Formats: sequence, C-alpha cells, structure tokens
Amino acid sequence: MHTGSETAVGLDKSLPSAPLAPTKLEVRDLNFYYNGYHALKNISMDIPEKKVTAIIGPSGCGKSTLLRIFNRIYAIYPKLEAKGSIVLDGENILGPGYSMNRLRSKVGMVFQKPVPFPMTIFENVAYGIRHHEKLSKADMESRVEQALRSAALWDEVKDKLKQSALGLSGGQQQRLCIARGIALKPEVLLLDEPTSALDPIATSRIEQLVEELKGEYTIVIVTHNMQQAARVSDLTAFMYMGELIEFDRTEKIFTKPGKKQTEDYITGRFG
Amino acid sequence: MSGSSKEHIIKSYDDELTRLTGEIVRMGELSVTQLEAAIDVVERRDGQAAQRVVLNDDAIDQLEQEISHDVVRLLALRAPIASDLRNVFAALRIAADIERIGDYAANVAKRSIPLSMVAPIAATGGLDHLAELAAHEVREVLLAYRDRDAERAYQVWKNDIELDEAYTGYFRQLLTYMMEDPRNITPCTHLLFMAKNIERIGDHATNIAENVWFQVTGEPLTKQRSKGDLTSAPELPKLGDKAD
Repeated sequence: MHTGSETAVGLDKSLPSAPLAPTKLEVRDLNFYYNGYHALKNISMDIPEKKVTAIIGPSGCGKSTLLRIFNRIYAIYPKLEAKGSIVLDGENILGPGYSMNRLRSKVGMVFQKPVPFPMTIFENVAYGIRHHEKLSKADMESRVEQALRSAALWDEVKDKLKQSALGLSGGQQQRLCIARGIALKPEVLLLDEPTSALDPIATSRIEQLVEELKGEYTIVIVTHNMQQAARVSDLTAFMYMGELIEFDRTEKIFTKPGKKQTEDYITGRFG
Repeated sequence: MSGSSKEHIIKSYDDELTRLTGEIVRMGELSVTQLEAAIDVVERRDGQAAQRVVLNDDAIDQLEQEISHDVVRLLALRAPIASDLRNVFAALRIAADIERIGDYAANVAKRSIPLSMVAPIAATGGLDHLAELAAHEVREVLLAYRDRDAERAYQVWKNDIELDEAYTGYFRQLLTYMMEDPRNITPCTHLLFMAKNIERIGDHATNIAENVWFQVTGEPLTKQRSKGDLTSAPELPKLGDKAD
C-alpha cells in the first residue's frame, strides 16, 4: 500500500487499548531493488519500542528482505539497493555515514536455522563480544552467563560450557544463537523464522523466551506460522508482493482485519 | 461467508462451516414451528397435543448439543481466526438463544394444559398477535443469519419494540379482565405467563440479531444503541476494500 511520504501504515489510534509505545524503528518510503527487481515498495511503518512486531505474508512477499534491511545484511551483496529511510534512535541507518559495526551491535539477528559456530558453547557467546569490546576473564564469564541465562539456556549448559556447541539439540542451538545475539546487548532483536526447524516443545521455549525478552528489547519476528504471530506479537504486519498491506494490533488483525487481502490470507483463502 | 466471498483452500473447512450454518437454521426453524404449534394447541384446547409439543423440545436441545460439539471440534482442529472465528463464536451463542426460544415455546404449550381445563375466555385470542410478531422476528433473524445480512438483523433488533409494546398492551388488557371478574384470574394469570414467555422469545431474537451483526461487521451492535440512533439503520462498515 502506498501511504504517502509522511504517514506510516499504522495503528488505529482511536482504540484506547492500542499498546502505543515510542517508535524504535521508523521506516519511511522504503524501496528495495535487487538486480532491478523491485522487492519492497514504499514501505512506511513505525515499529514500537519493547514490543514484539510480527511480519507475516506468503513466501516471496518481502518479509525476510525487510527484516534483513533492518541490520543491512544485504550490504554484503552487490547490486542491492535500498532507498528511503529507516530511523533508529534519530539516525538513518541507511545513511552512508552510519557505521556497520555500530548497527550490528544495536541490532541483533537470529536466523531460521540455528548456526552455532564450530567451537565451544562458551566461545560461541564470547566470540561476538570480543569483536566489540575488551573484557577481563571474569567480566567475560559473567557476561556469557548473563546472556545464557537471558536465553533460558544456562541451566542446561552450565556444566558443559567447554563442550562443542554442535552437540546441542536444535532448540538449544537456537537459544544459543539468541544468547549470542543478546550478549552484545542490542536494542533490537530480529528473528527470522526462529522456530521453523524446531519441534513444538522447543518452539514453546523460544516463544516463552520472546515474551521474557520483550521487556528489554524491541523484537521483530518473521514467521510463516500464523498462530505463532498471534501468540507472541503485540503488532502484526501483513505483507504481500513487496507491499505492506496492513499493520495493526495483533488482536485486531486476527479478529477483525481491516483489509480483505489480510482476511483471505490469514483465514486460508489465499490463491 | 462473512468477511470474504472466497472459499478456503481446504475444502472440508468450508463444508464444516456450511454444515454449522445449516444446523443453526434448522434448529431455528424448529423453534418457530414449536411456537406456532404451542399457539395452535392453546386455541384448540388440546392437552395431548400440548404434551407432544413439550416433548418435541428435546429435538431442539439435541441439535444444540450437536452444534456445541461441532463448535468445539472446529475450534480445536481448525483454529479459526478473523471472520471464521466470528462465525463459529456467533454460532455457539445463537444456538444457545434458539435453545431458550424452544424452552419458551414449550412453556407456552405446558401452560395451555391447565388453561384448557377452565372455561374459555375471550382474552386468549390476544396471545395470537404476540406469537405472530415473535415468530416473524425469529424467521427474519434466521434469514439474516443464513444470508449474513447485517442490515436485516438490525431491522429485527430495532423492531422488537413492537413486540414489547404489544405485550404491554396485552398485559393491561388482562389486568382489566381480572378486575372485572375474579373468576378470570386463573386463566389470565396463565395467559400473562405465556405472554411473558413470548415477549422473551423476541428478546432472544434480538440477541441473535446482535450476534449476526457482530459476525458480519466485527463490531458489537450495542455500540449503535449507545449512540441513541434508533430511527435509521447505521451505515454498515465495509469489510474489505474492494479495490484491493
């Protein structure tokens, strides 16, 4: 949906229950092209601070692309171009002067498949921290423990920190990746289909974790699982063919969506 | 279906929702038939027929059980959302209202038995008019439900006042009869209860109208009431932008 340059697709502010929080990421007129293909079209949205925002939509709608622009992962590939602005704490992260290192420490990302580094559990978490700061051994240990605790993994791994991370179960590996992400104390946490490779129990653990983490982080989660979006998010964005069709409180999207396209998609009438 | 004219990708889901609608309509028609049968036995002063009407209420209760079962199954297996969720939720509530309508119809039939044991009085005829109004309301609201017609449901909701006024008029009439001759007190008391039952049927029809409204629009109908606009139908909110 083209929303003009000033207004974001956004919440019905007339509803008193709308959980309005200060905006953490302000997306304006975002357009994205790869090899000339127009993948994202005029996206404008305000992602609120310390809330969970879910992005849903069929495959190829651009939801993962949008998520990847939030930490500029695309910048490692040539011929990719983002136009528009994404303002994080008053600064445009797409601007040429914005340091990539700074962005990566502010915005963490967890991918669909857990990708632990082939090293010990401890080193998996410590690796990223070392890249950004120099800590004493004791400080590092406490920082790793804190991250593992926040990721609800500490109790399961505290006795085998020196063992390889590759020996962990899929669900544990994914929580390790979340620990690695939050060890850098980011402000925004991006989750790209974090549970699609996990069983229902491991999925519930991650969802519980998301609920706990939102007290401290602004979370954006891309998911194919509609019920998951309904369970974990405060706000839901529906995207289709590179456009943001609807963005509103999750409760509204799942009980009374404003757009027919949203309704058709979430009720399984798409096609 | 409200919300979207498109079919679900999973065909059996549509079959189940259609079946649910059919069950509700069937149950509703049965309840109107019961009301009309009840009025018929009052006129004919037929105690045996009245018993049959009372027993027939079991069929309505049975249908309500089946609907509850179907709703639980749909919720558990299909996890309906948006308009589908409103459909299923409304079905459960509407079934409960129809069940009450059936109970009231059976009550009218039950009271006709002692009424037929005393001398007939002219005031009995007034019950007819009330029952006609109530039956019309129920039929209309069932059509509104079947066709997902919020406007028609709103008309039923708005017109219930006619039944209320007719009831109040009949109430006064019965009081007059009782004051005129104390021998009228027994039959008039029965008639008063029966009239109240029929008036309540109208209230349940308006409940159903509210649920149809909610199902179609996603908004509570009571919101309109608080605006105090009872003179004309509120504009229906659009369910989806057709330009999409």
